[in-house]
Amino acid sequence: MPENGQESGTQSEQAAKKIGVYLCRCGGNISDEVDLQAVADSLKENKDVTVIIQDYLCSSQGQEKIKKDIEKGKVDRVVIGSCSPKMHLETFRGIARDTGLNQNLLEITNIREQASWVHGKEGIDSKVKGLIKGAIARMSSIEPLVPIEKKLVDRVLVVGGGIAGITTALELADGHEVILIEKLPFLGGHMIGLSKTFPTLDCSQCILTPKMVAVKNNQDITLFTQTEVAEVQGSPGDYSITLKHSPRYVDIHKCISCGACAKKCPAGAIFLPFAQAVPQAYMIDMSKCKQCGDCVKACPRDAIDLEAKEMKSTIQVGSVAIATGFEPFDLSVIEEYNYPAPNLLDAVEFEEMLSAKSKTGMRLQRADGSFPDRVGFVLCAGSRDFTGRGKKYCSKVCCLYSQKQAQLIKKMKGDAEVWIFYIDMRSSGRRFEEFYHHTQEKGVNYVRGKIAEIIPKPDNTLMVQYEDTNLGLKGREIFDMVVLCPALIPSPGTKELADKLGVPLGDDGFIEEKHVKLDPVSTLNQAAFAAGCVLGPKDIHDTVTEGISAAHKISQFLGKGMILIPPEKPVIFECNGCGESVKACPYNALSLEKGKAVLSPLACTGCGICVPACPIKGIEIRNFSRNLYKAQLRAILSEAPGVIVFIDPYAYAAADIAGVNRKQYSSLVRFVSVPSIHILDADVVNAAFEYGAVGVMLIEGTTDEKLTSRSDELYRKLKKETRKHKKPLRYSHIETAQYEKLTDLLNVFALQAGAKAEKRGKKEQAETADDEIKE
Amino acid sequence: MSNKIYIFTNLHVFSCTMIEMIKNAIVPESRDLAFRDRILKTDVGKKIPTCIQCGICAGSCPVSHEMDYTPRELVRMVQLGLKKEILNSNTIWICTTCFSCSVRCPREIRPTELMEILKPIAVAEGIKNKNSKFDRIFSDVVKKTGRASEFLLISKYSLEEPGMIKQAPFGLSLIFKGKLPLLPDKMEGTDELKAIFEIKASETKEKEKKEPAEKTAETEVEAGK
Ligand SMILES: Cc1cc2nc3c(=O)[nH]c(=O)nc-3n(C[C@H](O)[C@H](O)[C@H](O)COP(=O)(O)OP(=O)(O)OC[C@H]3O[C@@H](n4cnc5c(N)ncnc54)[C@H](O)[C@@H]3O)c2cc1C
Ligand code: SF4
Ligand code: SF4
Ligand code: SF4
Ligand code: SF4
Repeated sequence: MPENGQESGTQSEQAAKKIGVYLCRCGGNISDEVDLQAVADSLKENKDVTVIIQDYLCSSQGQEKIKKDIEKGKVDRVVIGSCSPKMHLETFRGIARDTGLNQNLLEITNIREQASWVHGKEGIDSKVKGLIKGAIARMSSIEPLVPIEKKLVDRVLVVGGGIAGITTALELADGHEVILIEKLPFLGGHMIGLSKTFPTLDCSQCILTPKMVAVKNNQDITLFTQTEVAEVQGSPGDYSITLKHSPRYVDIHKCISCGACAKKCPAGAIFLPFAQAVPQAYMIDMSKCKQCGDCVKACPRDAIDLEAKEMKSTIQVGSVAIATGFEPFDLSVIEEYNYPAPNLLDAVEFEEMLSAKSKTGMRLQRADGSFPDRVGFVLCAGSRDFTGRGKKYCSKVCCLYSQKQAQLIKKMKGDAEVWIFYIDMRSSGRRFEEFYHHTQEKGVNYVRGKIAEIIPKPDNTLMVQYEDTNLGLKGREIFDMVVLCPALIPSPGTKELADKLGVPLGDDGFIEEKHVKLDPVSTLNQAAFAAGCVLGPKDIHDTVTEGISAAHKISQFLGKGMILIPPEKPVIFECNGCGESVKACPYNALSLEKGKAVLSPLACTGCGICVPACPIKGIEIRNFSRNLYKAQLRAILSEAPGVIVFIDPYAYAAADIAGVNRKQYSSLVRFVSVPSIHILDADVVNAAFEYGAVGVMLIEGTTDEKLTSRSDELYRKLKKETRKHKKPLRYSHIETAQYEKLTDLLNVFALQAGAKAEKRGKKEQAETADDEIKE
Repeated sequence: MSNKIYIFTNLHVFSCTMIEMIKNAIVPESRDLAFRDRILKTDVGKKIPTCIQCGICAGSCPVSHEMDYTPRELVRMVQLGLKKEILNSNTIWICTTCFSCSVRCPREIRPTELMEILKPIAVAEGIKNKNSKFDRIFSDVVKKTGRASEFLLISKYSLEEPGMIKQAPFGLSLIFKGKLPLLPDKMEGTDELKAIFEIKASETKEKEKKEPAEKTAETEVEAGK
């Protein structure tokens, strides 16, 4: 049983180990709160361990020190106490690679985001001492493993046919196969619904149409409109994705847009979305269609099929680009605007009237067809709002596009009155302040003050009430048309798609970047990338920049041809062929062959569900075995009692964000990383209680339903099987964005568990006192 | 050269005394940081530093045009600690507590409650103007009768505010048309009401003994919410 985690553990325990513990001061970020010398002193007794305290371990000097120690043979296993492994594990693993040390023999203990940034001095030293001792205990028994190589599928799915998706697809098509899907019947996203574009005022359709046609004509791009992702299977680098195609009832490959059908249709149900639409094909609105079949007869190309049904297809791709863009916030939520009302539009509706999608022949007009002589624009409608009614963030483009729209009105009618109500005019960016200046020159009236109320009048004019904050005077004005510039929110369906791909969202609902500044189009899923407004509101220039970046990152990712997958997979060292683990595995990674369970490592995600499923405890995950956990727990709790929080990688990221935001919580909390909480059984949880945990929490962050659907059952089972300790156990689901909820939970639980332990302590004390008296 | 400037400055000072100045410049002496911090520490005050001066409050306010400082300006003045201007402003007395500003403020600042905090401070500071007088007379009448009597209110107020004499003909015409009942309406059980007010007053006194006067005003408001 050489691969057996336990076995190799005992083996390596016998051999003398030279574990180097490197504690980073991080320029005071850690050492201001944690007494690192005291931590080092507490490790003195362990002869296997050498402790080094340094400033900035991640610097070349710090890295050099570790490297030299390994090269000189001073250490052969490394524990680093520093910032989060999400920050620098790759950096330090680089050292391992350079020196030929197996990567598993270097681990990071997070004492910054999950300690010094979130606790005061109280209790922090004993927490860090425990964590480091736990890491040493773990490191003593870890086995060196080699990552598994998996072949990548050289094909990309781009989701969303706006300018972000179009750019990504076109950039990638030079070398990779691309499938571009768009939910609507035509390409172009919001940009095809724009009039002119700031800051240069070139016509949106004129610069976009050539790109859309290029997509259509590119050999390497397969375009599906009216298509969405239904299901994602497989793993990064090798996805099998099911697409759902809604029926158009007209075959886009056969239709030549002759319009013969539309002439015959008695219901006006068959139409071309708009003249420049790509793909160029008619479509049927089934809510209007009478099923008379006249169009079918009229069509010279036999392109119409009234019986068409929703279809599904499955594609294999190695990488996914998320470019699902934005949609305007629903302004009817803000009661005092009285939206919608005649001549009270949102800015997207205003743009569309003057765009390729126009239904008024690109004429700006009021509901009655007349030209609006007095138009007011309301900036920040639903933005910069911290009450929960609107959105907290600034939508970034409204300041500029409202001025563009104002200029367009002035160009149509020089004496039209245009008022822009703003709070702050934000025109940072190249050519933007000049644009602002130019709009001022055109005679647009700027009012510093947000409209407080809009009252629709019986004659379809709109009365607005506001304060001119520059004057400190209340004002009232009547407009023919009022345009609300709405907060921009992620398009519906973004969350579902992100969940399917295991990509976390921020608390604003936009895709969370891998690193806000340094890795802005990557996500926490190494095979998924994002571009455009799905990463937050922005203009076309920035959207295109991100589209090009995402294409570059994807190309780089696929270019490797191979992907390394973590080697921490199950080992089956005893099997009686009962098949329980095979049944339990949600990813079909186990099968019974010749009466024994066999693993296909590429399908396995390492979730660990099979571990507790096996009735004879014949399965362990490498380097996450029960014994390893027990040793780690015993060491962590040897310093002081604490709350043990088993945490999966997604929730771990939330804890890191809490750290970055300095959200304080109890220093009783000790995180223990698990691949998923489903690896746990009563064996491990009971051990935690026995070693002195005052409470145990299971925090799950994954959105994978295959796992979360089993969590309740797991919790109930563990609760029952650990009842004898009479100590609190709790389960919670925390998505990456919910870091505030996480810290609240931790605080409440630590308080309860701590109080309960104290009460028990007193009782026990009283009992022993009683005993003494009796004696 | 410097002589010239001197003359000019003198001239300027002179002309300022001739022309009626309505607003003073903000100088370090006009800012009372202790006062500011005291307000900022309250529940309502905590959010005040995040005001973006959007003016929604003032735009929503049905009476902001009657105020010498709009609710937005009052919030701004708290940020700066312009104690004298704040406590002397008519804004805090004119507010009808309609809550329009508080409901719509995008930063969860509640100007309505800010006024409620400022009023007792103004009273404790002994600030008197026609608005605070009106407030005091109003509450006196209510304390006595349990009801608001328009006649008592107007007549008592006129005694203290001689300017009101101009309104006499209007008042008379109201009386003749029966719109201003002369006999005050009285609720039943005014004794109980009196007792309630007395208990409250003695409580306040108790507190004042324990804590400095300033603080009492604040805690009272917070407890009253
Ligand atoms: C009123 C207004 C005026 C503007 N004017 C200007 C301007 O003048 N100049 C400028 O630079 N910028 C302007 N902008 C900004 C500009 O519109 C955006 O930068 C740009 O459209 C972003 O492109 P995108 O591809 O990221 O998103 P979108 O344009 O929103 O495209 C996303 C696409 O994805 C599709 N989609 C969504 N969900 C799914 C799904 N689940 N599956 C499949 N497909 C999906 C959508 O149907 C859409 O086609 C303006 C914005 C607004 C609101
Ligand atoms: S079937 Fe008839 S109603 Fe339907 S689209 Fe064709 S012509 Fe129009
Ligand atoms: S670790 Fe998870 S995915 Fe892998 S075999 Fe076990 S149950 Fe299946
Ligand atoms: S509404 Fe709120 S944020 Fe706006 S000016 Fe008034 S107090 Fe400030
Ligand atoms: S609560 Fe007072 S300040 Fe606020 S809107 Fe009403 S009257 Fe104006």
